[in-house]
Amino acid sequence: MTTPPLPLEGIRIADFGQIIAVPYTAQMLAWMGAEVILIETEDRLTTRVWPPFAEAEPGVNRSGGFNLVNSSKMSCTLNLRDPEGVALAKQIIAVSDVLVENYSSGTMERMGLGYEAVQAIRPDVVYLSLGAFGRTGPMKDLVGFHSVINLFSGLASVTGHKGSHPRIMGGLFPDAFSGCYCVLALLEALYHRANTGEGQYIEVAMTEVLATILPEAVMEYTLDGTEPERVGNRHQEKAPHNVFRCLGDENWVAISVEDDAQFRALAQVAGIPKLAEDPRFSTTEARLSHQDELEPLIEQWTLGCQVEDVVEKLQAAGVPAGPVLDSAQVLADPHMVQRGYVQSPDHPIVGPRPMGAFSWTVDGGQPAIPRSAPLFGEHNKKVIQELLQVPGEEFERLMQNGVIR
Amino acid sequence: MLREGALAGLKVLELTDQVSGQVAGSFCARLLGDAGADVVKVESPQGDHYRKSGPYPDGVPDPDCSGMFLYLNSNKRGVVLDIESPGGRAAFQDLVATSDFLVLGQNSSQVERFGLSRERLPESNQGLIVVTITPFGLTGLNSAYLGDDLIAISSGGMAYATPGIPDRVEDPGREPPLRSNTHMAGYLAGVQGAMASVAALLSRSMTGTGCEIDLSMQEAVAAVMPFELAHASYHEAKPRRPEIFGVMPNTYLPCQDGYVVVMAVMDAHWRNLMVIADNPDWAELEVFSSGVERARNWDALEPLLLEWTMAHTGAEIAQLAQERGIPCFPAYTVGQMVDSAHVIERGFMVDMEGPGGQKFKLPGYPARLERTPWKFFRPAPKLGEHTSEVLGEWLGYSDAQLSTVGVEAR
Repeated sequence: MTTPPLPLEGIRIADFGQIIAVPYTAQMLAWMGAEVILIETEDRLTTRVWPPFAEAEPGVNRSGGFNLVNSSKMSCTLNLRDPEGVALAKQIIAVSDVLVENYSSGTMERMGLGYEAVQAIRPDVVYLSLGAFGRTGPMKDLVGFHSVINLFSGLASVTGHKGSHPRIMGGLFPDAFSGCYCVLALLEALYHRANTGEGQYIEVAMTEVLATILPEAVMEYTLDGTEPERVGNRHQEKAPHNVFRCLGDENWVAISVEDDAQFRALAQVAGIPKLAEDPRFSTTEARLSHQDELEPLIEQWTLGCQVEDVVEKLQAAGVPAGPVLDSAQVLADPHMVQRGYVQSPDHPIVGPRPMGAFSWTVDGGQPAIPRSAPLFGEHNKKVIQELLQVPGEEFERLMQNGVIR
Repeated sequence: MLREGALAGLKVLELTDQVSGQVAGSFCARLLGDAGADVVKVESPQGDHYRKSGPYPDGVPDPDCSGMFLYLNSNKRGVVLDIESPGGRAAFQDLVATSDFLVLGQNSSQVERFGLSRERLPESNQGLIVVTITPFGLTGLNSAYLGDDLIAISSGGMAYATPGIPDRVEDPGREPPLRSNTHMAGYLAGVQGAMASVAALLSRSMTGTGCEIDLSMQEAVAAVMPFELAHASYHEAKPRRPEIFGVMPNTYLPCQDGYVVVMAVMDAHWRNLMVIADNPDWAELEVFSSGVERARNWDALEPLLLEWTMAHTGAEIAQLAQERGIPCFPAYTVGQMVDSAHVIERGFMVDMEGPGGQKFKLPGYPARLERTPWKFFRPAPKLGEHTSEVLGEWLGYSDAQLSTVGVEAR
């Protein structure tokens, strides 16, 4: 089977993304074949100057936080405080199909790059704004990073061990999850544009993105005021359902038992078949009420085993189980490597570095083969001289005046 | 059915109820329906898992009123077919032959058993896009593994990374990896499945040919942690404790009525924070003179800040802080979020009504597309509500044919 053409071939994107969420959105669009021009401003650098750096050595081209959310893009460095810089940005926008941004509310407007201004120079533009709280409502101007978003959405209140503090989910996932909704909305808007010629404005609020995963809690609260409790890793319908320590330091296995047959299989594999006959554990209902007694018995077994052995034996017996992987283990996971999820684009300064690509294959192949992230200002000439047709002398003048830098 | 939306005119067939407890396929199909596609959910005569799981408006199980089912299946129509019977299987194949998308939630052995891989589906429908969402994908060493939300969150790397930063961990060495009490992996995979679907549609516009999308929940979880993976990829260890995370305070602390984010990563933030904390003597101490110093001496600083936060409500602190441009905010419960003026003014929540007139809300759609806006086109279907309607409309089935699909059509 041949690989289908990339879905966004021929689409150009002006990327005004900050930190993670919108840069990650535009990265996925770049993987889908779009030509993404990242417009960077030297005095507003974020992830380029934040750790992690390759081997902990700082440098604008050495940040993993930047390089792994800006792969496959071009970098154009403009001084957006200078009217000439803004004029160049407008020229880029005029030849782009999509603009994406997640500055604080009002910033793009102050630079003369708000939706109405952009529509005047590119009538069919698809323009996406992402904000912590969105672009309307009483809190639209508030600043919020992932912790605020986690905590405002109520997600942290349903995350945590019983009787303990709220917890923040790892991995800055509110940014990337918001990015997924942004990509979906943009693809829909581009399909609509292909059919009708119409562009449009899209607005996404990160706090609302997180609230989309809390339907039960929202329903129960609005029915009778019930607030959800923190329950650790436990589940209202399954037991055991938790992570258990294995042999070695900080090694854990996740086990989730859905019914009595699975529990009998678990007890058998663990070498304690009599557990399944114990009235405290013989039915799901009984196990749900005796988890405090059951979990240590299972951990007695797992503590003496390697994670992989527990997973293999339980899966072979039809019991859902999986390793608790850390980031390094994710990137080295033979299964995900085999599926093509892990890609290692070669970067001219820090060399090949593994990263995750799309979570799906198309007709058996990974649809995205990321190219490395751009060096700071790497594509200034390509964008300004070749794309915008600015003559060489003028380019030099703009460089000397610090408009391009 | 006349629909608006970016995907109006496209047909989606969903068969996800063969695997219990996975929201991913259902949510993926719902998102396509949210964009205006005509989504038909095929259920077995027993009905979808989430019809049986609640929460229910009266607390009394009712397969047509489960909150999770209502949420995952709005903007769809519902058909019941017994695909284990010859008539039901034939009707299903006929529906597939006329669809643009087929969304599946099976694992690899079931895809094989039901003959659902694309090369075994109708050749006449070259444009069909098949989306299969499974715990570990359909290929690779672990493709036959069973899994659910806990397994995907764990094997995708997120459980290990939780608690995230900033956070309050008394003893991170002893705190087990953690999942959120939600179906997070399912939603993550569902949204990514919808992305993959619309991307495939754009490709199809160029070639006329569909494709087979094989999405792994494990990878869908890993995919939302680029920053976490960057630490491993760039060989710079990710601290699990906030005090060694660059600059502090960048955390949240208990306060009089809950928790409040205390974030002052820049020196200007810190000076302003000390102003609203009434300029305590310790603010001038050398050990707290920079963000890096404050991180290094966090064990000394935390109790001092805690004394201040515990003397105030989260709202008091947040108001004073935001007036001075410091990004502090009280931690909300789900209820406080739902009742906040901001969420109400933006109209994010959707009003629902139970069969006995019970009023409740469910989350709406987080992206606002000006020209193709999200709409709540229709509530989730009752079991088998549209069997004869859809088989008549899509396939032109007569009443006699309807009697062969393995269930009594409603």
